[in-house]
Amino acid sequence: MGVVIAVISGKGGVGKTTTTANIGLGIAQNNKKCVVVDFDIGQRNLDMILGLENRVVYDMVQVMEGESNLKQALIKSKANKNLRFLAASQTKDKSILESSKIEKLIRALKREFDFVILDAPAGIESGYEHTIEFADAAIVVVNPEVSSIRDADRAIGILDSKSDKVKNGGEVEKYLIINRIVSDMVQSGEMLRSEDILDILDISLLGKIPEDRGIVDASNQGKPVILDKDSLAGQAYKRVCDRLCGEKVEMKDVENNDKGIFKKLTGMFK
Amino acid sequence: MFGLFKKKKSASVAKDRLTIAIMSDRDRLDQYPFMDELKAEIIEVVKKYIGVKGVSITKEMEGDVEALSIDVELDKDHTD
Repeated sequence: MGVVIAVISGKGGVGKTTTTANIGLGIAQNNKKCVVVDFDIGQRNLDMILGLENRVVYDMVQVMEGESNLKQALIKSKANKNLRFLAASQTKDKSILESSKIEKLIRALKREFDFVILDAPAGIESGYEHTIEFADAAIVVVNPEVSSIRDADRAIGILDSKSDKVKNGGEVEKYLIINRIVSDMVQSGEMLRSEDILDILDISLLGKIPEDRGIVDASNQGKPVILDKDSLAGQAYKRVCDRLCGEKVEMKDVENNDKGIFKKLTGMFK
Repeated sequence: MFGLFKKKKSASVAKDRLTIAIMSDRDRLDQYPFMDELKAEIIEVVKKYIGVKGVSITKEMEGDVEALSIDVELDKDHTD
């Protein structure tokens, strides 16, 4: 039986879909069977980030409505044989989602895959609530800035009251990914440090991803940045995935990278 | 050199503002989706014994302890 992880953020545009794509691929690279599901009904995006937009024939809603079987709708990743993708519906509105049908779909996915990763829509409306409903765990993606962190806290609050697991007396595990860290700004005190964010949100840290111009380039090509071994963000995502797969990986201090104090000091003597 | 101490760094301003904003967000009861049902059920239970006008529920925090404070307003006509 696989584990179901919802990727949530509250605020849009913080890198939730990029994170979902990279985590899915990274888990697959660890030889685990993984499926990523786009729950953003009406605003399909994950297909583009994965470079699979031309292969979408059937979507998640069609599977739930019985118009397509699951096997037909699961799209194989070009980058890794262990990764499958289930597309969001582009045409139907999100009021189509029904708890019993979602539960059935997720149960079927859990039987087939080690990891079921759900890309939640932004916001905290019904589409979001349906994404977290049957999740075992959540990955919370934030940027080190005030509106992202505040919205994430609201999303966590809903997770802690509305998920099926919580309603049955359990707890949904929550892990934080801090995305788009600019080390120079953290060093100069213009950007929140991860310890402060963890203090405020009170959840455990899964990873820190540095700001990386390569992300846009990766999206342009539909090749998630984790495929680029030289990319700092790609390496950070790889560490996150190794942790998710049970490896002990040291938390790299991306807030203190080579552009940090040491380089600045040596720079002074140049 | 003096510039270094001139003003508070914006990251620490952000932390202070966020801490306060999030604390007050969390206190807001509409975070609990069950609040209306809870109120209705309390009214039903109390009504079995005594007339009741309304129920108000507030969340109170003292240090690490959180508590729901429930006030039941009795209906005067039915108290005696």
